[in-house]
Amino acid sequence: MSLIYFKNVSKAYNGSLILDNITFEVGPGEFISIVGRSGVGKTTLFKMLIKEERPTKGRIFFNDKDINKFKHRETTFLRRKTGMVFQDFRLLDNRTAYENVAFAMEVAGYSEQAIKKDAPELLNLVNLREKANNFPHQLSAGEKQRVVIARVLAQRPELILADEPTGDLDPINAWEIIKLLTKINELGTAIMLATHNKEVINTLGRRVISLDGGKIIRDEQEGRYLI
Amino acid sequence: MFVIIKRVFRTAWQGLVRNHWLSFACIAMLTISLMILTSILIFNNASNALIDILKEKTDISIYFKRDVPEEDILRIRDDLIGNEKIAKIEYISQEEALKIFEEKSSRNPALKKALEELGENPLAASLNIKAKETEYYTKIIEDIDNSAFRDKLITVDLMENQRVVERINAWSRGIKLISFLFIILAAILSILISFNTIRMAIYSLKGEIEIMKLVGASNWFIRGPFLLEGALQGLIASLVAILIFMPVIIWLSPRAESFISEISIGLYFWSHFWYILLIQTLFGMFLGIVSSFWAMNKYLKV
Repeated sequence: MSLIYFKNVSKAYNGSLILDNITFEVGPGEFISIVGRSGVGKTTLFKMLIKEERPTKGRIFFNDKDINKFKHRETTFLRRKTGMVFQDFRLLDNRTAYENVAFAMEVAGYSEQAIKKDAPELLNLVNLREKANNFPHQLSAGEKQRVVIARVLAQRPELILADEPTGDLDPINAWEIIKLLTKINELGTAIMLATHNKEVINTLGRRVISLDGGKIIRDEQEGRYLI
Repeated sequence: MFVIIKRVFRTAWQGLVRNHWLSFACIAMLTISLMILTSILIFNNASNALIDILKEKTDISIYFKRDVPEEDILRIRDDLIGNEKIAKIEYISQEEALKIFEEKSSRNPALKKALEELGENPLAASLNIKAKETEYYTKIIEDIDNSAFRDKLITVDLMENQRVVERINAWSRGIKLISFLFIILAAILSILISFNTIRMAIYSLKGEIEIMKLVGASNWFIRGPFLLEGALQGLIASLVAILIFMPVIIWLSPRAESFISEISIGLYFWSHFWYILLIQTLFGMFLGIVSSFWAMNKYLKV
C-alpha cells in the first residue's frame, strides 16, 4: 500500500504544460527529495497534493483514495494529515509561537488540556520554549521555520511536504531544519522535500526524483543532485 | 461545545484587540452607518409628525343660510356622521361663531367697531367636518355638493376647499416620498460603507485565512471568530453611536422645536431610547456579521 500515488498527472496553466504525465509512488515513512530548476513544477506538485490545485489530467491517491473526489470535510482531514512547511513560513502573524502551534491542535480537535501539555513540548522539541510568547515578527527566519515544523508536528501528520524550507535560511539554520526533518522521518513520518540545495541532497543520500521539462527524468533510491 | 464557544470568543477578542487599527476603522465606519440609521428613524418620525400636523389642521366648514333652523342643521350633522369617511363633525352655532370672531378680533378695533355698527350677528352657523383620511375630503365635498341640503348652504365655492385639501394631500405624499427615498438611500449608503470597510479589513487578513485553510481548518472553524468579531464591532459601534447621539439630541432638540413646535426630536429620542439602542445594536451586529460572512467567502475557497 502506498501513502501517495501520482498516476499520469499533468498540470497546465493557461494552456502551458507545467507537469506532463507524472507517475510515482511514496510509501509510508519514506524520505523523498524532489529536485529541479525553478518553475519546474515542484510547488505545483505539492499544491495538488493538498488540493490547493487540481490536476488537469490524471489522478492523485492518498492512502489509496482519489483526493479529487474528496469533499470539503475529507479535504480538511487530508490537510491535517499532510503538514506543509513553506519557504515563506506562513505563520499567523498576530499569534504567538505558542498560539500558532495551539491553533493547529485546535483544528485537529485536541482538548484544552492536551494543548496546554503538548504545545510547549513541541516548542521544546524545536528548541523554542523560551520564545513561546514571541510573535513571528520577533523571531529570526530559522526560528520561524522551527515554529512551522512544531505546528506541523502538532497535527501528527502522516506526510510532511517541505517546499524549499531552507531557501531563506543561513547554512547553519538550514542544516538544523534538515536534521529536524530527518529526525521526524526516523520517527515514522514520510517527508517530501523540494529543494535547490545540492549539498543537502547529496549529503542525505535518500530517494531523489529529478524533474525537468515537466517530466520525471530520474527517480533513484540513493540519488544525487544531477541537474 | 463549551470549549468551541470559549475558543471562538477568545480568538474573536484577540483579533479585535491585536488588529486594533483595523478594528478601530471598522468600528468607526459602523458607527457612521448606525448614526445614519438612527437619523433615518428620527427623520421618519419627524416627517410622520409633520404629516399628522397637516392632517390635524385640515378640515372643511360648511356654512348654513341664516334662516335654516338649528334642528335642521343638527339633523344634517347626524346624517353626515353616518358617512364612513367622516371622523368628526363639530356644530358651531351663530352665537359660538360670534364669540370666536370676537375673541379673534379683540386686538383689531376696526373689526370690533364694524361689528357693533351692524347691530346684529352677521355670522352663519356651520358644521366643521374632519375626515378620517385627508384623501377623503374630495369625496366628502362631492357628496355635500350633490346632497339634498345643498340649497340650505350659503353659496360658497366648495371647489376652493377642494383645492386646499388637494394641496395638503400633495404635500403629505411629497413628504412621504422624500422620506421613503431618503430611507432607501441612507440604508444603501450605510450598508455600502460598512461592507466595504469590513471587506478591506478581511482582505488584509486574507493571508491568515488561507494559512488556516492550509493547516486544515474547516470553513466554520475559520468563520466563527471573524463573524463574532464583526458582531462585537457592531455592538461597540452601537454604543459609540448612542453616546454621540445623546449630546447631539440635547443640543438639537430645542432648536428644531423653535422651527416647528409640534415636532419634538428630543421627546421621540428619549421616549424610544431603548428601542433605538436595540435597533441600532441589532442592525450593527447584522452589518458586522453579514459583511464579514460575505467578504470571507472568497478567501475560503482555497
